[in-house]
Amino acid sequence: MELVINGFRQELDVRTIQDVIAHFGLEGKPVVVEADGAVLTKEQWATAEVRTQMQIELVHFVGGG
Amino acid sequence: MDERYSRQMLFAPIGEAGQRKLKDSAVCIVGMGALGTVLANHMVRAGVGLVRLVDRDYVEKSNLQRQMLYDEEDVRNGYPKAIAAEKKLSIINSDVRLEPVVADVTVHNIESLLEGIDLVLDGTDNFQTRFLLNDACFRKGLPFTYGGAVSSRGMSAILVPGVTPCLRCFIQSADAGGQTCDTIGVIAPVVDIVASYQAVEALKFLVDAGGKRRDSLLTFDLWENRYYEMKLGEPLRDCPCCQLKQYPALDYAEQEEMVSLCGRGTVQIAGKGQLDLEQWRERLEPAAEKVILNAYLLRAQLPEGERLVLFPDGRVLVQGTDDLVRAKILYARYIGN
Ligand SMILES: [Zn+2]
Repeated sequence: MELVINGFRQELDVRTIQDVIAHFGLEGKPVVVEADGAVLTKEQWATAEVRTQMQIELVHFVGGG
Repeated sequence: MDERYSRQMLFAPIGEAGQRKLKDSAVCIVGMGALGTVLANHMVRAGVGLVRLVDRDYVEKSNLQRQMLYDEEDVRNGYPKAIAAEKKLSIINSDVRLEPVVADVTVHNIESLLEGIDLVLDGTDNFQTRFLLNDACFRKGLPFTYGGAVSSRGMSAILVPGVTPCLRCFIQSADAGGQTCDTIGVIAPVVDIVASYQAVEALKFLVDAGGKRRDSLLTFDLWENRYYEMKLGEPLRDCPCCQLKQYPALDYAEQEEMVSLCGRGTVQIAGKGQLDLEQWRERLEPAAEKVILNAYLLRAQLPEGERLVLFPDGRVLVQGTDDLVRAKILYARYIGN
């Protein structure tokens, strides 16, 4: 389905937020997920279903300095 | 008051009263690399009374592209960053008390480094130290001003105990996934912008303009022209730091076993999770001089002279040094925790 991920429209074959995280190889990484403006905790990722046109923001914490 | 601050005092939200508050304030900057030098420049020019500068590393040529307080002479002299920074800052504003500390920040010295400090500015290059600072700040009730920069991406937020969530409310993993300034690079403008966002939040806090505090995590990609603000929101219900008050990074036993000397010229750093060696080969190849992968380990010859040996179980050996701090510096550069 088509999702808007970090501002870009993308066609992904996913069902849950966990699938989105896996798609981008972000498991275990310092990432916060916001879906349609609501922050989802890690525990919610596996059950949170995505729907078409959902605005998903993957906030990947930056470590350098 | 001093003509030096006239323009800053003309800015009404600071004014003379705010300037006096800055003079009576003390901040600690941990990490005097790219972010740290910009932070120190702002704090010292603004007239913050005491600025403590903490860093474990020395100046190298590859720093000069973005670490704005250093020059070629510092590289030739091989000065520690904290000392080179003090030298430059002391001729920028001799009214400010500067306290350079050449040290690795650990669970053992964190308490004394934060003694007498009103606010902590994050100039570190790794999440391990950030978690330590986060936990120490929240236990002590000090605001922690997070900043991070890599590639063309940057991020910043001020985290205030009792008011906002802490860093652990957002992230639990210290795995930067190999994305460090030494592997995928960084451009200087992103550093200046991140540190300037940190600096302005520090100024607001120090002059008691809490009502103007930015209540969001700001994140941007300067190359892709993308900005995003995420509301800080509520703390994580079972956050081990700000809610359960366990402060995991301040636990001596847990920190001890992370880094250890193992044999002549080798330091072992215990990992937190498994390493996919094939992925790490791809990540390290552009930065290392030579990378060898076999079924058991990945060995990377670094341009600095030392070697990294990565094991699938997460362990990393730093070969060519007996110095635990040096090993941690290289680990932060290339592995990035
Ligand atoms: Zn927390």
